[in-house]
Amino acid sequence: MRIQVRLFATYREIVGSRGFTWSSRDGLSLRELVDGVVAKYPRLADHRDTMLLAVNHDLAASDRILRDGDEVALLPPVSGGAR
Amino acid sequence: MIEVRRARIDLEAVVDSVRRDDAGAIVLFVGTVRSDERVKALDYEVYRQMAIKSLTALAERAKDKFGLTDLSIVHRLGRVPVGGDSVAIACAAVHRAEAFAACAWVMDEVKRIVPIWKTEIADHPSRVRRRR
Repeated sequence: MRIQVRLFATYREIVGSRGFTWSSRDGLSLRELVDGVVAKYPRLADHRDTMLLAVNHDLAASDRILRDGDEVALLPPVSGGAR
Repeated sequence: MIEVRRARIDLEAVVDSVRRDDAGAIVLFVGTVRSDERVKALDYEVYRQMAIKSLTALAERAKDKFGLTDLSIVHRLGRVPVGGDSVAIACAAVHRAEAFAACAWVMDEVKRIVPIWKTEIADHPSRVRRRR
């Protein structure tokens, strides 16, 4: 199956891309996907503890089982609006 | 009105969007880019689809929690210079207490849960840093 991965802010800068397609076996969990992405881009490892995860525009737990065509976003802590 | 936009925010339009005959109070909060040493602007990066979904859900929660008659949230995307408006929140209620309380709560929630990130743009290219 194919998962669309999107990256923002610090993570986009680390990877040097706004996103990519990730191909994998069926039944992949969100945690396994992130493990794979972090293994490919080791500089993301420092951010793992504060990383928020979303699937199809909703925050998701890492045990979520992904499906073909899902959009996964790796989100740094947010900082919008005014102070 | 729930919106993420590159163009400047029309504050009067935001207020007008929540006007209703049964609302006796409208509170408008405007977040602006304040001056900081050598900072000339902030760049706002937004995960648009998730931000719109999250802002829409937040507006519904605020209406329920505070009994608002209406609520609008407009956030900028892209570069906003010092002094520019980055976010506007208008809360309308029958009485002012609910409108004031809701505006403060909604702004805190925007900062906490909506996927928007800002980067300081310095007057010198080597001084770019993220702002929380």
